[in-house]
Amino acid sequence: MNRVLTPHEIDAFGRELDALRQEVLDQRGQRDVDHIRSVVRTMRYAEAAGRLLLHVGIDPATFALGSGALGLAKILENMEIGHNVMHGQYDWTHDPELDGETYDWDMACAAHQWREYHNFEHHTFTNILGRDRDVGYGFLRVTSEQPWNPAHIIQPFVAVGLAFLFQWGIGAHALRLDETIAGRQSVAVLWTRARPFLAKGSRQLFKDYVFFPALALANAPRVALGNFIANGTRNVWAFAIIFCGHFPEGVRMYHEQEIQDEPRGAWYLRQIHGSANIKGGRLFHVLSGHLSHQIEHHLFPDLPACRYPEIAPRVRAICERYGQSYNTGSFRAQLTSVARQILENALPSRARPARMQ
Amino acid sequence: MNTLATSAPRVARTASFALRAAQRVSRALLLDRSFRFWVDELAPVASRAELRACVLSVADVTHDVKTFVLAPRVWPGHLPGQWVPVEIEVDGIRLRRCYSISSPPNDPHVELTVKRVPGGRVSNWMHTHLHAGDFVRLGAPSGDFVLPEATPAKLLLLSGGSGATPLIAILRDLAHRRALKDVTYLHAARSRRDVLFARELARLSSLHPGLRVVLHLDDESPRLDSTQLWVLVPDLAHRETFLCGPTGMMDAVAPAFLGFEGRLHHERFVVAKPAAAAPGAGALIHLGRSKRSITTTGRGTLLDELEQAGERLEYGCRMGICNTCRCAKRSGVVENVLTGAISNEPDDVIRLCVSVARSDLTLAL
Repeated sequence: MNRVLTPHEIDAFGRELDALRQEVLDQRGQRDVDHIRSVVRTMRYAEAAGRLLLHVGIDPATFALGSGALGLAKILENMEIGHNVMHGQYDWTHDPELDGETYDWDMACAAHQWREYHNFEHHTFTNILGRDRDVGYGFLRVTSEQPWNPAHIIQPFVAVGLAFLFQWGIGAHALRLDETIAGRQSVAVLWTRARPFLAKGSRQLFKDYVFFPALALANAPRVALGNFIANGTRNVWAFAIIFCGHFPEGVRMYHEQEIQDEPRGAWYLRQIHGSANIKGGRLFHVLSGHLSHQIEHHLFPDLPACRYPEIAPRVRAICERYGQSYNTGSFRAQLTSVARQILENALPSRARPARMQ
Repeated sequence: MNTLATSAPRVARTASFALRAAQRVSRALLLDRSFRFWVDELAPVASRAELRACVLSVADVTHDVKTFVLAPRVWPGHLPGQWVPVEIEVDGIRLRRCYSISSPPNDPHVELTVKRVPGGRVSNWMHTHLHAGDFVRLGAPSGDFVLPEATPAKLLLLSGGSGATPLIAILRDLAHRRALKDVTYLHAARSRRDVLFARELARLSSLHPGLRVVLHLDDESPRLDSTQLWVLVPDLAHRETFLCGPTGMMDAVAPAFLGFEGRLHHERFVVAKPAAAAPGAGALIHLGRSKRSITTTGRGTLLDELEQAGERLEYGCRMGICNTCRCAKRSGVVENVLTGAISNEPDDVIRLCVSVARSDLTLAL
């Protein structure tokens, strides 16, 4: 389905994307800062409203509103603000509040561990089996190219569990627990990796389930439950968005030998074929942290994310001209596709015809 | 009596301990960003994270010079002649410039007199967009262009253009301390309409017989050089001179001080943007934190060059994506090898793996 490009075409393809990137860099300015600050402001007001409603209300209506507002704040903070700021998308502003190196987000994953395994490993070795540990996170079989083992039979249930506990999954991913189980990582190294995660995680638990409930005095159980719902809402949402970005059908996996001396154009191609977009409106894009434009994000992880919807039609047009697929679909279609992948790959591959090209 | 005397420091100690503990808890629980946001939202000048000053007034001094009177939340104090870093935001980017403080230390406010520099991003923005009621960020006042502790008996305050700003602070301070015994204030300006602080100079010289004000106007008399300086100030050799002005003017008068250079104190107020050297040229890299200096070959990226020099740096993708090797460049010019973009602003954040030096650099490493 994807036309095989000559080395010359691959270079030309890369140059077109480089030019697009440069065009955005040249326009970067007040508009981007205004955007991210308005998201920060919305998030802070939602957070304050949520906490106020949970802390002082006594009726179910304020409870539902409060948990919802707090959940919205956590979604905005993790996705549009935290993830994008930590990519260094706003480092050029010199604003310490938007500094990627010092930002820490409101979730269980320690920020510096995330910067290492996500910004470096996942964004450099995207979808290379054995190098990008984000492919199924080491325990889900999301493509038939991963070897099957009997534990994968229960993976549909594991995936649902992961959805509800997603922040803990993201945090624990830095531990490389599977490597220790397989004997490739010593327990001592596991422990050094576990310490920042345990410290951050326990501080987050303390904040949501001890500190804020204690401030609410008699309303403590209500506040704790509201925080639990807000965290859960964010977990399920982030899980859904992120799984739609890399695991729908048609997303390509790579082998390490394919990327020897990969030129920049080929690196771009791998980012496009290894990612999938979700169609939606402006609000949907912001709530997804613009990971609904996973393709553009993987091409240009350090451009301000609010630019992705603007350049997406042009990226798509370039892909069409070079005969390259551009995986996009509605949220429902992509979710269904992911669910099918998880269900089908729970069984050994020979049980069904291969879908991957 | 005794209990009162001992309990006051104890209360202060307990309060500061409690404040520090609260700060640590809020950082651990990631509540500090939220606090800073609400301070910014409700009372920006009250920020404790950085020093901010409210703009009290903006006044035209000449056709291209304005004076901004600032009220900082707190002020660490400054010596006349010192400068202060001012940070503003232009098109989403925070930029920092140092301006001489023109107010004396006894003034409750901080006064900055800023000339609109053609093409200058910060001065133009301040002239156009900064109004009373806005706020700016300030750094710590600094600089050693100050009078010695014992005020010299005979002084020459020599300035050109907007170089007058630190010298007017020194003059105002001397007037306030009634220490204007024998001071020559020589100011060179393009024309009469460019003279800074003209009215105040006239007032001060009528009040203080020890002050002699000499104006040198470029459009009425020959250019100020060392010969001219000797004509205008015949007792130059007996005076402690404080000189601040454009580079050309400072270079032109410098030979006048031959033989008594120790009496000349000067401040360069124009830091020219460093010019880019040819690609592939070697450069001297100063590492600000480790105080190391490294000479590069000019053949590799900064990451390669620094590693070859034995620096152990954090890095990830080595292709300009992951941001692991990012570093603040304090000064100098670098080129991004991916985009060809040139960075010559101080404090720009660069990625070492895709940057090559195009001039000598200072890096925050």
